[in-house]
Amino acid sequence: MKVTSARDIGIIGLGKMGVLHAGVAHSLSGVQVKAICEKNTLLTKLAKELLPKSVVFYDDHITMVEDEELDAVFVTTPIESHVPIVTDIAQTRKGLSLFVEKPLAVTHNQAQAACEAVRGMKGIHMVGYQKRFSPIFQRAKELVMGHRIGDLMFFRAHSFSSDVLRQGRSWRFAKGAGGVLLDLAPHVLDMVMWFFGEPETVVATRRRIYSREVDDYAHAAMSFRDGLQGYVDVCWSMRDFRLPDTLIEVQGTNGNITVTDDYVKLEINGQDPLETSVEMDYKQSFDTSVSFLLADPEYTKEDETFLSAIRTEHLPELNFFEASKVNALIDRIMEFPEGNRST
Amino acid sequence: MKDFLIGDNAFIGVSHLSHDHARQRLKELHLETINRLFETALSCGATGFSFTVHPTNLRILDTLENVGTTSNLELYPILPYAAGYVRTVNEKGVGGLINDFMSRYSLADKAKLSLRVGFSTLTLDPTGMMRTYIDAELLPIVRVGGKLSTILLHEVVTDVAVSFQSRNLIDSYMQHVRDKYHVKPGFVTRNFARFVKFFRDVNLPLEDTIIMTPVNKIGFQMNPSREACEACLSEIHGVSVIAMSILAGGYLTLEEAVGYIRQQNLSGTVVGVSSEDHAQRVFTKLRGIAESAKEKT
Repeated sequence: MKVTSARDIGIIGLGKMGVLHAGVAHSLSGVQVKAICEKNTLLTKLAKELLPKSVVFYDDHITMVEDEELDAVFVTTPIESHVPIVTDIAQTRKGLSLFVEKPLAVTHNQAQAACEAVRGMKGIHMVGYQKRFSPIFQRAKELVMGHRIGDLMFFRAHSFSSDVLRQGRSWRFAKGAGGVLLDLAPHVLDMVMWFFGEPETVVATRRRIYSREVDDYAHAAMSFRDGLQGYVDVCWSMRDFRLPDTLIEVQGTNGNITVTDDYVKLEINGQDPLETSVEMDYKQSFDTSVSFLLADPEYTKEDETFLSAIRTEHLPELNFFEASKVNALIDRIMEFPEGNRST
Repeated sequence: MKDFLIGDNAFIGVSHLSHDHARQRLKELHLETINRLFETALSCGATGFSFTVHPTNLRILDTLENVGTTSNLELYPILPYAAGYVRTVNEKGVGGLINDFMSRYSLADKAKLSLRVGFSTLTLDPTGMMRTYIDAELLPIVRVGGKLSTILLHEVVTDVAVSFQSRNLIDSYMQHVRDKYHVKPGFVTRNFARFVKFFRDVNLPLEDTIIMTPVNKIGFQMNPSREACEACLSEIHGVSVIAMSILAGGYLTLEEAVGYIRQQNLSGTVVGVSSEDHAQRVFTKLRGIAESAKEKT
């Protein structure tokens, strides 16, 4: 996918994801990062020295979108500020296209406010659930939808990381703004709903392990309209997970599908065990080359999709309305009481 | 091809085939096993060790030094250890990262690195900060006594610099590595063709660098495509390119991998190995490339 017309981009928030989207977008043909909004003076100072002199810096997002003729902005700030920034921009520059890092909001109410702010506007809006651009998860979805394993019976899914092995001190650990459900869980919850739709019922439990104000672990059991049941475990306090690890295993009446960030495996049961067939597709078996790679190819594909959607004026699948479903599910999990903090 | 490097993936829990596999392999590795692995690899033709500045790798270097292995080992450190620093920033913020970083050094070292005068003054000069950072990371490495062959800039920094055409950053880095450590500056990139184009566009000397980049039969992590990277490899001369991911993260057999890379214009290759037996198979096979090249000449 090529972006053919010039696009001037603004970045709001120059943390890890801000640098990543800035780097990817700026590398694309016909696209340039024209302005950056960052409140941290040290980061701004560093970026001014290292980035092209043509990039204009701001510490206020409203001034940035008022002063610069931008085609789109990437909102890559802490989660609690996503929706206030989106509503500010929607009021200041109606129709400016918006990309927001996942999750869209802290709560479903907030996510709905973001949806209302952009409803009926000309601009494109999208949220960064980049796993939908992974050919492995795309293949798994095809297999699930194609009934290759018969009727779906149940699934189990997890997302684990070693990000929190002691009490943290950044915004990710502040009550109402972070925790494992807002940080690590959104991707696997989005995948589960992408595969199976929105659950009818949710029963959940969650607990703090190292953190004082937020959950480090959550478990949610769900059931769906067609009888499918399953559960998701999320924990950011596991040992030995250098990178976050996602797994979804779906059991059907004729076999099962397992998908991770590395591979998708299809097992079809035969009449006896000797006839079981196994198809294993590692990520290496897919074409994952991209025009420019930073971190994972999915980020390039998602940014290309967003910028292409602006050009074609077609709302992408991962728009605010779609992304708000993840916030709705997180809210349903959060309704269940929290267990006690361990010693 | 003359540089055959031991990669560190197995030691720090990286596998491009499966996270499960990486974790399992890590549990089976101990410092003593790693020592023997290095001895075997070196006896079969390995020439160096390429590693991120991960705490585990620094422990491995210390252990190798104790048994005298580092004297035969060329060192290719890659910095910064991006994944670890991102995790620390997520957990503790930028201030927490600086505090953690400083706490690793003795008072004498801090004085030596000018860290005691405070980062606040250094932050006024990003390239000065970068120089201080490189010196700080290199302290425990130069102490172990191996031969420093290059210092490689991690792909996260290299590729962001390539995207933004940050000539100043790259130029200051190259100057510092050449002036202070007297080695060629190195770069890891997953955007090889764009990297080469950037150097040419901004008139930086490609010949003075060592480039480490994925090169494999199926084009895994070769961007924008295997064909573009192959074309670029074939037309650059006098540039040291070390192939990484030659097994495409364990997806290809050793025979397939070696069959492909021996046809490419490369100065070396790096392969992660996880046992003595594995090291023996890999480096014996790679040594075959060097020996057949000698026979041809």
